[in-house]
Amino acid sequence: MTTTTAQIFTIIGVICVPLISLSILVLSLAALNLSLGIRKLYVTLLGYLFDYATKIKRVKEFSIDSDKSSDEHQTTTTNENDKTPLIEKKTEEDPIKISSTTPLLGESKNEINNENESESSHEITTSTTDHEQKISSTSSPSDIQFKLGDIVDYTRQGLEAIVDDDVTKRFTSAEEMAVWNLLTRTQQQHEYFSIRVTLLWFVGFCIRYFILFPFRLFLFIIGITWMLVSAIFLKYFLKRDAKLRYGFYINIVLHRILSRVFSAIITYHNTEYRAKCGSICVANHTSPIDVIILSTDNSFSMIGQKQGGFFGMVQRTLSNTANHIWFERSEAKDRHMVTDKMREHIQNKTNLPILIFPEGTCINNTSVMMFKKGCFEITEAPIYPVAIKYDNRFGDAFWNSSKHGLFQYLILMMTSWAIVVDVYYLPPMTMEENETSVDFARRVKAAIAKQGGFVDLEWDGGLKRSLPKADYKAEEQRKFYEMLKTE
Amino acid sequence: MGSNASIMLQQEDLQNICQETGFTTKEVQRLYSRFKTLDKRDCGFLIREDLLCIPEVNINPLGERLIDVIVEDYGENNKINFKQFIFLLATFRRGKTKSTTEFNTRNSKLKFLFDMYDRNHDMKIDRTELLEVLKMMVGGNIHDDQIATIADHTIGELDNDGDSSITFEEFCETLSRIDADDKMSMKFLS
Repeated sequence: MTTTTAQIFTIIGVICVPLISLSILVLSLAALNLSLGIRKLYVTLLGYLFDYATKIKRVKEFSIDSDKSSDEHQTTTTNENDKTPLIEKKTEEDPIKISSTTPLLGESKNEINNENESESSHEITTSTTDHEQKISSTSSPSDIQFKLGDIVDYTRQGLEAIVDDDVTKRFTSAEEMAVWNLLTRTQQQHEYFSIRVTLLWFVGFCIRYFILFPFRLFLFIIGITWMLVSAIFLKYFLKRDAKLRYGFYINIVLHRILSRVFSAIITYHNTEYRAKCGSICVANHTSPIDVIILSTDNSFSMIGQKQGGFFGMVQRTLSNTANHIWFERSEAKDRHMVTDKMREHIQNKTNLPILIFPEGTCINNTSVMMFKKGCFEITEAPIYPVAIKYDNRFGDAFWNSSKHGLFQYLILMMTSWAIVVDVYYLPPMTMEENETSVDFARRVKAAIAKQGGFVDLEWDGGLKRSLPKADYKAEEQRKFYEMLKTE
Repeated sequence: MGSNASIMLQQEDLQNICQETGFTTKEVQRLYSRFKTLDKRDCGFLIREDLLCIPEVNINPLGERLIDVIVEDYGENNKINFKQFIFLLATFRRGKTKSTTEFNTRNSKLKFLFDMYDRNHDMKIDRTELLEVLKMMVGGNIHDDQIATIADHTIGELDNDGDSSITFEEFCETLSRIDADDKMSMKFLS
């Protein structure tokens, strides 16, 4: 009896010793923000692996395509193009696919950006460019002529929006990728193309779920414990100013540990523009992880509604480590009150910069949407824009909150390969004279879009859950009226 | 997410759809995943609200009318399923390329436009129907009296047989100057 228990303990010990020493190593590295380059190596290796898997998949797709096209040839004599070499066809198709679905890459991005820049003086930048070419003489309303064909543009635009629109697809994962990353959830049509690829996928699955995931979960629990213990420590043992000083380090260490939970590989660019105390930092929003990513390099005061549940607990605990601004749900409607609170906060130059995601909702990292003007009304301090660009090859960081709960999302992230992300700090911006807060918000958004390679959209992220305001339709109608008048 | 999008679409159906509509398999698959995305309740058909919650359709002055045509003329019981959806879209494939089917002729495109006006399906656009569309398009920017004048003017100019309504032939004639095939083809489907 005693021997078996001893044996069990030995086995546990044998398993635990490397695990514990590994965690201690990772934790101390995390706390000091050091890296042995293992994650970099890991990601590069993965990169090669994905390329290999994609190559096999492509080859298989070619052969299937060619089978189909020869079938079609016998039945219908229409598709002459299919006779041309397959590889050529493929290269023809690929840019179309990329430009139409992920406008991040290549020319289409510039096109869209330019279009938006030139149009940014207009109220909404949507799909009415067709109408705007016609500007000519003014005429009295009485000789307005309506032709039956005038409905053509709106009809086509409507149909095009039904098939593919610019907004709704920003709220679901960006699906198509140039390479397949051996995660089933990121590939829409995962078919078992070859045994080799399936085997690779399976090995990857085992590694992700049975090795990476438990270890990451363990780290996550340590991180949360660290947060709770340090919060209690700060709450009962230290005076206020000392509290904030220690809080700064505790916060950074916490987030560094948490970032390792997702094997985050973060590259910071232009660190000279890191937000200073007594200012506001704005960033595009993809997921709750954004906060962790940014906080490994700097500490922020966060602002937001008081939440319930797990989030609420995190909020209350974090309040012990820094000056965060949480307001009641009932107060949230009072925008002036929120702005005043922020103003008050930044006037104290020892206060940490406020971190704000002015989009107000998570967007799938292919675009930036309307920035709510609230924080841009504060002229007392500069605004430090930050562009956060994830590399979705190793795991899609986007949080589709209507589909996954927070914990489900976190598990998805912990079973992804890694979170690879570039953080671009941008030079501080201040409101110019004669600039409204709306224009200023737009200018900051454009800067972030340009740096991160995002499509710059004027649409409100709130459309994820609600319908557009009637004003927008009225604006379209006004445009059409103008066009009729000047025709 | 539609991770099983292509599995749900039977290989057989896919082949048939491609043959009938002239879409490539890739296009059909893409449209299918789009259909699944729009079908938020996951019930296999789209209703008015599903389409109307696309912001760009919602702010389109003719958005609601377009959806009327789609769900009433192409679907049934104010629903549209995937097959109906794809036959609707087949109309807007570019017709000039070698692959013309019975769906994407110039005539069928014009008929769709005509149906945007002709909601009582009497093959005539009468004054009230024209007024309705006109009001949707200009909103509150023109006074009702003036809209009426404009509509009368339009009808007067096109109506050859003096019944103060526009037949499909007259409609086609006035649109003859517009390259309907080009204007009503969707780039990403070509």
